[in-house]
Amino acid sequence: MKLLTHNMLTSKCMKGVSIGYPLAIKALDIRTVEVDFNPEFVAKMIPKIDWTVLHGAAESIGQTDLPKEVVDNYENNEEFLKKVHHVLLEVDVIDGELICPETGRKFPINNGIPNMLLNEDEV
Amino acid sequence: MSDKCAKKIERKLNKLKHVVFKETGIQCSQNPTKNIVICNAGLVNGLSEETILEYFSPYGAISNIVMLPGKSCSFFSYVSIDIAREAFEATNGKLTVAQDNKPVYLLYSEQLPESTYSTKVWNELPPGLVILENFITEDEEKLLLSLCCFDNTVSNRMKNRQVRHFGYEFRYDNNNVDKDEPLPEKIPKECNLLWNRLHESTQWKHFIPDQLTVNHYSPGQGIPHHVDTHSAFEDLIISLSLNSAVVMEFKKDDRDICVQLPPRSLCIMSGESRYDWTHGITPRKSDVILSKSGTYTLLKRGVRVSFTFRKIRRGECRCQYTRTCDSITKNKSTELEISASEVEKMHVISVYENIAAHFSETRSKPWPNVLEFVNSFDAGSVVLDVGCGNGKYLGKNKHIFDVGCDTSSALLEVCRKNSFEAFTTNCLYLPFNDCTVDGVISIAVIHHLASEERRLQAIKEMVRTLKIGGRALIYVWAKDQHKNNEKTSYIKQDRKNRKKDEDLVVAKENKEASVLNDSGMSLPVHVNRTQFKHKDVLVPWRLKKENKIEDTFLRYYHVFEDNELSNLCLKLDNVEAEKYYYDQGNWCIILRKTSIKIG
Repeated sequence: MKLLTHNMLTSKCMKGVSIGYPLAIKALDIRTVEVDFNPEFVAKMIPKIDWTVLHGAAESIGQTDLPKEVVDNYENNEEFLKKVHHVLLEVDVIDGELICPETGRKFPINNGIPNMLLNEDEV
Repeated sequence: MSDKCAKKIERKLNKLKHVVFKETGIQCSQNPTKNIVICNAGLVNGLSEETILEYFSPYGAISNIVMLPGKSCSFFSYVSIDIAREAFEATNGKLTVAQDNKPVYLLYSEQLPESTYSTKVWNELPPGLVILENFITEDEEKLLLSLCCFDNTVSNRMKNRQVRHFGYEFRYDNNNVDKDEPLPEKIPKECNLLWNRLHESTQWKHFIPDQLTVNHYSPGQGIPHHVDTHSAFEDLIISLSLNSAVVMEFKKDDRDICVQLPPRSLCIMSGESRYDWTHGITPRKSDVILSKSGTYTLLKRGVRVSFTFRKIRRGECRCQYTRTCDSITKNKSTELEISASEVEKMHVISVYENIAAHFSETRSKPWPNVLEFVNSFDAGSVVLDVGCGNGKYLGKNKHIFDVGCDTSSALLEVCRKNSFEAFTTNCLYLPFNDCTVDGVISIAVIHHLASEERRLQAIKEMVRTLKIGGRALIYVWAKDQHKNNEKTSYIKQDRKNRKKDEDLVVAKENKEASVLNDSGMSLPVHVNRTQFKHKDVLVPWRLKKENKIEDTFLRYYHVFEDNELSNLCLKLDNVEAEKYYYDQGNWCIILRKTSIKIG
């Protein structure tokens, strides 16, 4: 699971959960995969993501390279875009779990695939 | 009447004559008949049967009234021409009961129009209804009326009447009673004489009610049509009318029976009349009554008090009137939901887990129109593939970020091997925030959902995750595999179909078996490579190893009729259909989200 995916996931579909965002990450196995750097793609992605959530998620799994705030004029800041590229797309949580911030419900991540399936009585 | 005045009326009537003819097809004239046409007043501008009776019956007996919905003219008949002529001359251009107190303008007609709405029946009772006149004496009536004084407090005032409850409170929010919360105030013991009398004089020997609702109706008040909730009360319901008469209407389908309830009468509803007919009282100040002699009269309403006695039902209703029974509808909908999810578990989710590897091998070639849609997204777009399977549409557009999801973890493993992002979920709920993605694709997925509610729920979820202006592409299997006389490749893959060019093979009835699953639902098994005969079918998947069939799995499909997918999608009022098309045996739709609101 890439942190870009994590940036969009929520447990709000669960019964009794109102926001369910962001999900906490407990990572047992993190790998880095190489992905071609596409500065235009990263620059377009930055305004679409919740930066605070990305920053928090990255810190929680030991990726401390990101600044707290998006830098000004980031479109032309290749160094910054590369950092974002790395955190968004190259860091891959292979095993661990996602945790609902409201109920503590755990969603296992196995082989990089978060299992967001809910039981019928949870919906 | 002055000449000037008479001429004015004549001019007016000439004009109105054409209007009446245009509106109703009735030819009017000035030659007297029994039938009078009020040319300038009808239902649409405030005239009522009561007003006609009030002002025209003093001249003589009225034998028919026809008022047409949406029309500004009315028709009624006297029993003789002489009466009609007398009334006509006395009122034409003078009687000010038309709109804004304007005078009515009259003509005669040879016939009355067919009344399309007023099929009201008198002097007949719906099955199971009994009216016992003078069930109590005037003294008993006074006693009962004294039991219950209405003090005009807000709590017991309804929009149309005042009510009080004894024994149990009838709740108008859910049309039921709290069976575990009886009221401290029981039915007054003075009422006991009623069932004693009922036991003596009727077949109902054991009826003792435990709930009483007293209604207080002033003239002009009524009660909307309703069936007393089946699960709340037992079969027999009795209602005593006090102080003033009223007409109660009973309706079922297009039948409409008017029943006069005189004061001190007892109305007994049982069986069909209790379970399957609605009853109600029109809010008005007087009732139009059709007498046994066939003439209409007006009956002014006074204050009417009704005592309705019912017995609380314990357990569910077991009547045969399924259409109106809340016990049956409640059970049915939960049963259907459970069996739909059981069918999906058994015939979709577990099947894909079992056939994943083989399925994935056979699903490598993307469909061109889907690919075109995926490639239509700008750089930096986010696209979610709902029901991505082995991910054959993921990673195709290198400039977007795409994520897949599916219920089958075995198929998602295939995605992972190809380095695609994916997560496990059911498409009935997507673990994504609202308005986050630019695009959604869902190719051959929602036809695996076993009820229309669930298919709609899946579409709603996709739309919810879309940004405003975002687009979704949905593909489902079509029932018709032979559109425009062209066989789809699904059909052509059958050798018989390939050879012959004429009729496509439709499975013979005897080749089709039905499978009864654990949830008791029986589904026909489709014969592969043939035209579909049913909308909900099980399609066999034969698992092969070294070209030998090892095992057969049955996948559930709901195949879609021509406009079914677009009709389903347009139940949401926050999307518009950008394109609807047929593609190789599938119905396909491109939706665009127009607002946040979910329909």
